[in-house]
Amino acid sequence: MITVVLTACKPEIDSFEPSTGNADFTKYIAIGNSLTSGYLDGDLFKSGQEFSYPNIIAQQLKFVGGGEFTQPLMYDDLGFGNKMVLNLNTVKDCFGAPVEGAVPSLGPVLLRKLDPSLPDPRNFQNIPELYGSSNLGVPGAKSFHLIIPGYGMLNPYFARFSANLQQGSVLQQAISLNPTFFSLWVGNNDVLTYALAGGEQDSITSVGLFSYTYNLLLESLTANGAKGVVANIPDISNIAYFTTIPYNGLALTSEQQVAGLNMGYAQLGITFALGPNPFIVQDPDALGGVRQIKSTELLLLSLPQDSIKCAGWGSLKPIPAYYFLDEEEIIAIKAATESYNNVIASMAEAKGLALVNTNAIFNNAKSGLIYDGVKFNASYITGGINSLDGIHLTPRGNAIVANFFIEAINAKYQATIPKVNITDYPGIIFP
Amino acid sequence: MNMRKFTSLVFLVLLLSVNAIAGGYQVGLHGVKQIGMGLVGTSLTLDASSIFYNPGGLSFISPDYSFALGGSAIRSYTIYQKNEPSMTEAMTDNPLGTPFYFYGGVRITEKLSAGLAINTPYGNGLSWGKDWVGRYMIQDLSLRAIFFQPTISFKLNEQIGIGVGLVYATGKFEMNRALPVYDVSGEGSVSLEGSTSNIGFNAGVMLQPMEELNIGIDYRSSVDMEVDNVTATFDVPLSLQGNFPNTTVSTKLPLPANLDFGASYTFDEKLLLAFSLNYVFWSSYDSLIFDFEKNTSALTDSRNPRLYENKLIARVGAQYQVSDAFYIRAGGYYDPSPVNKDYFSPETPSLNSIGLTAGISFYPVEELAIDLSFLYISGQEGERTYKPDNFSGTFKAHTYIPGIGITYNF
Repeated sequence: MITVVLTACKPEIDSFEPSTGNADFTKYIAIGNSLTSGYLDGDLFKSGQEFSYPNIIAQQLKFVGGGEFTQPLMYDDLGFGNKMVLNLNTVKDCFGAPVEGAVPSLGPVLLRKLDPSLPDPRNFQNIPELYGSSNLGVPGAKSFHLIIPGYGMLNPYFARFSANLQQGSVLQQAISLNPTFFSLWVGNNDVLTYALAGGEQDSITSVGLFSYTYNLLLESLTANGAKGVVANIPDISNIAYFTTIPYNGLALTSEQQVAGLNMGYAQLGITFALGPNPFIVQDPDALGGVRQIKSTELLLLSLPQDSIKCAGWGSLKPIPAYYFLDEEEIIAIKAATESYNNVIASMAEAKGLALVNTNAIFNNAKSGLIYDGVKFNASYITGGINSLDGIHLTPRGNAIVANFFIEAINAKYQATIPKVNITDYPGIIFP
Repeated sequence: MNMRKFTSLVFLVLLLSVNAIAGGYQVGLHGVKQIGMGLVGTSLTLDASSIFYNPGGLSFISPDYSFALGGSAIRSYTIYQKNEPSMTEAMTDNPLGTPFYFYGGVRITEKLSAGLAINTPYGNGLSWGKDWVGRYMIQDLSLRAIFFQPTISFKLNEQIGIGVGLVYATGKFEMNRALPVYDVSGEGSVSLEGSTSNIGFNAGVMLQPMEELNIGIDYRSSVDMEVDNVTATFDVPLSLQGNFPNTTVSTKLPLPANLDFGASYTFDEKLLLAFSLNYVFWSSYDSLIFDFEKNTSALTDSRNPRLYENKLIARVGAQYQVSDAFYIRAGGYYDPSPVNKDYFSPETPSLNSIGLTAGISFYPVEELAIDLSFLYISGQEGERTYKPDNFSGTFKAHTYIPGIGITYNF
């Protein structure tokens, strides 16, 4: 009787049957910028690329007739040499000497400062084997960059896999692969490049140019009857890079300090108190060229903490305009984002394409997401979604995005592409 | 990965790992003869197992000394398939469960009997594996409770017997789950272990209006297993250990009260038909709370809703005396799960179940019976969710339980 028990029948449930609906996934290609390429932790590198959301989608498309999906992989995990890792850093004083007895602080650091290994030289070369890559996500690309002939001469990431450096555009290369299905996520850099310079350099792409470009992209990609999915642009206030350092992060702990600052700024009518204070920032239009930052304004993650601690930035000296976005700049960014999103939505509708509202997703992420018992939110590092560069997503963040893409594709084309388990993908590695 | 252990409890690995085969984590395997009859027991006076099923019935056991010893082997499988378009499937790989019992009863005077029951009415031996999709909720769990019940029983008259036993319950549990923190060597985890004891009681009345007819009522009180010094062992990256400090945890798991009613009738002295209704007061299990003495941003008291509901189990069973030395049995029951469909944790994957049983007894000599039983439980396929963790899917279960026991009455 025991033998009967040990070889007993296990329960079975009817298996789920994936179906392709009315789309054709045999040749899927992805176009976009760094978010599409698998760039994370500050660089493009092999294992990060393997967790790009298009690659995740492509693995799932294999269940519904999808073919091979190739990417212009770097030859190692060093990429161009700018990758960041989390490290326990010794706390140093303003003279560079380690503070005795201080608990090491956990923070991101460039990997090359810990490990002098050089990236594989092939990472920097134009490699013919990569010309057929299905993932045409190019870090740094704005919308209209995708249609510029010879973009490979202007962008080192496209230079690696451009089939025609002098004259080829990303769009042309995509079309040459004869896709039956595509994903397009572009427009982020059209505001982001400007935002990352604190609004002091570069400029926001005009809606006119964005609209012209987007129309050309979609016309070309759907010319042979290919179907696809497009995604809109998240609002800047949902990106950890801009929301991590609080506007009132100037913590004053001594009466002496407070008194000194009050005296120094008395003529400008700015006062300080013990506890949190708004930072002092540069503003040529303000009295004396400086003022307190407003609660509606945003500080960039690139703001050097050392300069705040040791060089008096934000208190004795104003934070340069390069490190924050003022109200005007934010209004311009938000207006542009909204216009781009209107263009994307109406063109997707007109062409019968699936639309992923990433703006809503990143907004919801702020109040928290949960999958199979694991909680996520939009906080820098601890939230699980943002990688160490504060803009791009962790592999789990990419999996969350991939599932939203799959959901949108399933809804639009009556397919049942299986989603992935977010928890099958790695999270941030801690020392 | 850096291991941190605080107190190391010498963990006695008892062979007595018990698996959940009835609703929730309540086990109903308290007598091999009774298992053969659909787990009916309240109105039966077949052997010393009445000490547990209905202490009032101990008065009706003849002759003067009665002993019963037995156990079962539980082999169970639960399958999970994720909902929403997904290829994800998982199956439990549970250790073999081995609930057991020992009963000994003695008639002291014509009206007074006494006895002792040692058995395992609650347990769960569950393993989904280290890497399955629900690993942050549970990887594996073992929960076992042993009850000791010294009992006395009075025969008020020819027709009525009453009995009561004091229950001393000991329980221990161990639970492992993954933590979503990572270092270069892999994922973190936490292991919780604890043990405790408490008391309760078991009271019953057996009526025998005529020789062929028995009616029984039994009430077993709830026993709250409160564990004040659960040890938590965290396996987390070195840089995060400040967030997972050395601390004690307390938790409470209720073992619910039961009210049973049953009746049985013997036809022509050969065919015994019986039924019982078991009402289980599961609503006492509202939430599973882990209260950490020290809290950090990562270590907050965890409050996991369970919202179990009271349930009624209906059982029928039959025994046929083929000859003086050979009996056969059959039975069945329907056991609705107490688990709330929206708060279905994979820690206790209890589904609405149908049980089918068969059994036989041999009497090599008049005093000694060798009992065999077999119970097959079919956990009905159903969609379940654990809302707070956004975890859902379809579950189904099969369980196979052979049992063997001996009874000795002289």
